[in-house]
Amino acid sequence: MKEDLMDIICCPLDKHDLDLEVDERDDGEILSGTLVCTECGESYPIEDGIPNLLPPDMRDEAPA
Amino acid sequence: MGILENKARARLFYKYLSKIYDQINPFIWNEEMRGEALGLLDIDAGDRVLDVGCGTGFGTAGLLQYTDDVHALDQSVHQMEKAWAKFGKHDTVRFYRGDAERLPFEDDAFDVLWSSGSIEYWPNPVTALAEFRRVTKPGGQVLVVGPNYPTNTLFQKVVDAIMLFYDADEADRMFSEAGFREFRHVTMGPSYSPNAAITTVAQVPE
Repeated sequence: MKEDLMDIICCPLDKHDLDLEVDERDDGEILSGTLVCTECGESYPIEDGIPNLLPPDMRDEAPA
Repeated sequence: MGILENKARARLFYKYLSKIYDQINPFIWNEEMRGEALGLLDIDAGDRVLDVGCGTGFGTAGLLQYTDDVHALDQSVHQMEKAWAKFGKHDTVRFYRGDAERLPFEDDAFDVLWSSGSIEYWPNPVTALAEFRRVTKPGGQVLVVGPNYPTNTLFQKVVDAIMLFYDADEADRMFSEAGFREFRHVTMGPSYSPNAAITTVAQVPE
């Protein structure tokens, strides 16, 4: 994801701002990292450049 | 509640459906219908547009004809992999995994919001529509394409068991409850089934 997306994304649960922690960057593209809600502390992974902003109960590993 | 209105089941369903989706999809939702729906919108070059439930990217491709700033969200990676094959993962389109009912976007983030062939899978359509209103700028347009409720009673029983289908009255109720005041519905479809889809275009209240 591009860093300028930080202007429009937010926590899907409480809609507060997210902090960006970058693990891997390639030019302007953030390939892996974590987005952490500044309010509730929930974290959302960036996986191969795609921010996974699914609420935790909908992630693949979540029980059905 | 239809069997797909459970998100885990919907994910599983899509994992398999995505393998054949673009082959069967043109029968119910084709380029002509997509063009008709796009014609209901005023998208200026440079407008920031969100495609909710982008799936394999069929609607996304249409939106790209109007603006370069297209953002696409889906819950399912299996569906989005088809879209990534078309547009690249990090090039033309900004992709997100997310939930239509709990959108990860700031208020008023988009000029236009588009969602085709997704509403029938949402457990709480009104919640999702209210989110669409929230993330779209006042005065901006929200367009939703869903399957029109069939008139044949046997078919009604079949579709009721599978997913949400709705008619214009039900669409009125859902959009009103979600806080929209101005909207209209257009039915569209191929010649053999001209009312197969119901498209609603709504304006976000100022």
